Amino acid sequence: MFLKGYNGLILKDYLLVEDAPLLQEMAEDDEELNMCNEMTFGLDHDSTEEGTAKPLMSLEVSPVLKEEVAEETGEKLEPGVAEQLEELGEPQEEGGMELDAEQICSELEEEEEELGTEEQEEDQEPYEEPNNLGDPAVMKAVQSKPTLESQDSAVLDSKIGTCWAEFGKEDMLAVDPAVWGSCPGSIPPHHVLEDKAILQVLERPPPSTNVAHDFLGSPMQRSYRGSPRLKHPDLRLMSPKSFPQRFLQQQSPLIPLSPCSPRPFTLARRPLLFASNQTTGYAPPTPFRPMSPNISSPPRSLAMHFGPMSPSLDPALFLSPSASSQLNLSTPSHMTQLHPQHQRILTQRQQQDEQAQSISPKNLWSPKVDPYAGLMTSKEKDWVVKVEMIQLQSENMDDDYYYQTYYHRLEHRQTEEELFGGRNKQEPPKLVTPFIQKVEMYDSVVRIAGSLGQVAVSTCYSPRRAIDAVHHALVEEAAGSQRLRALHRIEKLFVQLLEVEEAQRKMSLGLEEQQQPSCQEQKSQEVEHIYQALKIRACSSEEEAEDEFLQLLCVRKGKKLTARLLPHLSREQAEKILLTITHHLPFLMKKDMLDESLPLLYSPLNEVVGRMTFSKLIKILQEMTRPLHESPELPLAMALKNQFGISLLYSLLSHGERLLSSDVPLEPCSGDFETWTDTVFLVARELSQVPKALLVEPLFLPSNLLSLFCRYLDKQTVHHLEAKMECSPLPSEAAMPC
Amino acid sequence: MAALPLGAARRHHELHAGTASLIQDIDKKHLVLLRDGRTLIGYLRSIDQFANLVLHQTVERIHVGKKYGDIPRGIFVVRGENVVLLGEIDLEKESDTPLQQVSIEEILEEQRVEQQAKQESEKLKVQALKERGLSVPRADTLDEY
Repeated sequence: MFLKGYNGLILKDYLLVEDAPLLQEMAEDDEELNMCNEMTFGLDHDSTEEGTAKPLMSLEVSPVLKEEVAEETGEKLEPGVAEQLEELGEPQEEGGMELDAEQICSELEEEEEELGTEEQEEDQEPYEEPNNLGDPAVMKAVQSKPTLESQDSAVLDSKIGTCWAEFGKEDMLAVDPAVWGSCPGSIPPHHVLEDKAILQVLERPPPSTNVAHDFLGSPMQRSYRGSPRLKHPDLRLMSPKSFPQRFLQQQSPLIPLSPCSPRPFTLARRPLLFASNQTTGYAPPTPFRPMSPNISSPPRSLAMHFGPMSPSLDPALFLSPSASSQLNLSTPSHMTQLHPQHQRILTQRQQQDEQAQSISPKNLWSPKVDPYAGLMTSKEKDWVVKVEMIQLQSENMDDDYYYQTYYHRLEHRQTEEELFGGRNKQEPPKLVTPFIQKVEMYDSVVRIAGSLGQVAVSTCYSPRRAIDAVHHALVEEAAGSQRLRALHRIEKLFVQLLEVEEAQRKMSLGLEEQQQPSCQEQKSQEVEHIYQALKIRACSSEEEAEDEFLQLLCVRKGKKLTARLLPHLSREQAEKILLTITHHLPFLMKKDMLDESLPLLYSPLNEVVGRMTFSKLIKILQEMTRPLHESPELPLAMALKNQFGISLLYSLLSHGERLLSSDVPLEPCSGDFETWTDTVFLVARELSQVPKALLVEPLFLPSNLLSLFCRYLDKQTVHHLEAKMECSPLPSEAAMPC
Repeated sequence: MAALPLGAARRHHELHAGTASLIQDIDKKHLVLLRDGRTLIGYLRSIDQFANLVLHQTVERIHVGKKYGDIPRGIFVVRGENVVLLGEIDLEKESDTPLQQVSIEEILEEQRVEQQAKQESEKLKVQALKERGLSVPRADTLDEY
């Protein structure tokens, strides 16, 4: 890994110190190049990275420079430098190194300026004339052995090493972080000293204050302290331990940077990271650009190369905001897709928060200006919020069932409270907030005529949908238990039912006005489909256990399915179900003893009963009064002992009574009235006979039963029944016709 | 430089009312716990829809026992899926901690010692289990710390 190699490099360099003359030639090629490359990266290292790379640079630069200086002590530096540089002059390959070399060249030369070299103007030329091969001062890079950076996995992976030529200087900024790599989570002990950040901390002079307080202090200064841009490397005193310290000492003259106007170089790059103006109280230093008055032109010329970016680049970098504008969420209501109740609650909360915030001591911090604030512009924030809101949108109520239901109920409760409390506060009783339809309707499946299969259309809604994954479920012909099969059927039918109900709900919301008839048709088709799947048919009592529909009814969920399906069925179909249930009532009651879920069916069946004609009613009642083979008891009698049974019975009787007492022409078939009367008598008899303890309380006790009995029975019996049924006595007994 | 005008701030309150968003946490100091066990403290500068974070002036804080040490790290870009949790740091209460800050060297040393002790005990455990004929497969997950 880069760091490891780097570490080795340091040690090697220390050795060189002792054998400086011997190893000079050997090391020249490698070290120079390495230095050149690393200085390149160091050059473009953004100041905001707080000099994590600085120790790296420092340790890299010094050994190389020391060689030069050692070589040239007393000599004129420039020719020496030129010599070394020319040694590197080889045909430029890919030109990749060239630019970097030139940068480094200028850097080196700048350093050497401090050492007292004269010629500088020439050396500045390379920036303006990168291809000036004739100039002896122009350094030509050599594609020698691969540098550490090029071998760094991060670099290789991103193929940066091969693309250096294409990258402008400004891109070095982007490249840089990749090169440095990142430290592993838990720093292995032997790597501790390789961790640049740790090194930097270690190198730092013992902080007198809490380190944390450095946060708001100038981070630049902190990083700068560790900056490697040494001017006077005292190489003779080189030793590993004091190595870092030296730089710190040497950096001191440079630390107090004049808070002059930011260099064009840095200014140009500033917009990359900070949207807001960085002027007050913050001096962005360029660690490798000494503020020596001698150097005037290079920075500017460099700026031309390094920072051609305009501040306008900032929003452009974030393509998303511009892209979002094309989303065309023109309806302002896309923001208000929260349930209105929810929104109300939250705006209240916000107001409270804001009030609290204005008082909170946290605001004491805000006067202390944070120079880095506002990196994220409001445009970007809006964009993120938009994306988040879009993610919330869903046409499928099932996704958001609990949220919706909760707020519906909350609203219900509130409106109720208001009604009872007598409050005049007008809370708009909007019950349902339709979800905002997704503006972008997309076709997730694109079929091109003549193609095999589908084109993979992936959007942000369906990123990976490449095929229609149709679950070809094999019919379970397994020898598994009947119950399992029944359960399986129930599940399938339930799913279909849910779809039907969903469609129903949508229709009732009136979302798609023009499509209603077709939806209706579709819905009835599906309902029919489910009904057929139920396989309701007449069966004898022997076959009851095998009958599929009855099997369904034995399961609680099957009952639920039927109960929910009934409202959607036509009258004949519903009555058929009622007939079947009544016909097999004893069986069902027996099966339901553990579960006690038959009452689920009561409500919808009640509805069905309420719409029945008299003849039909009679038919149903006949089912209850037919004698059974298995037992002497009548279904009727058994029903009295079952909550559902007795409720159903009462419901039937009540309806009959209602029909009779109303003026509606009954159109009875022959024999209906007799059957009716017989039934009533039977019921009365059974009721009086059944011990009170066994008589179950019905789910609902119709009020007109007594008047029914009154019609046919004597007063005494009626009283007796009344007591048994525990129904409220009739308003006035004197009014009773019996 | 300007802080966000108050109107804009309030607007951002509105925009994402009811949803959990990090918008309101921007430019505030946060403590972020990563899946690999690292604790980062920094100013949250930027987010996106995946809750990727840009942390500024980040410090990696290593806790061992009652001591902790900070390693300044600069700018972090954290991929959202690697975040376990994050929370805003109250700048006033920040210093109000029973923990003792120590130098990096010390904390790293402490950490090393702790890791060693853990490894030792783990080794003993594995050994004991092996003797009893049980073998616990090594959990080679990132989330183990």
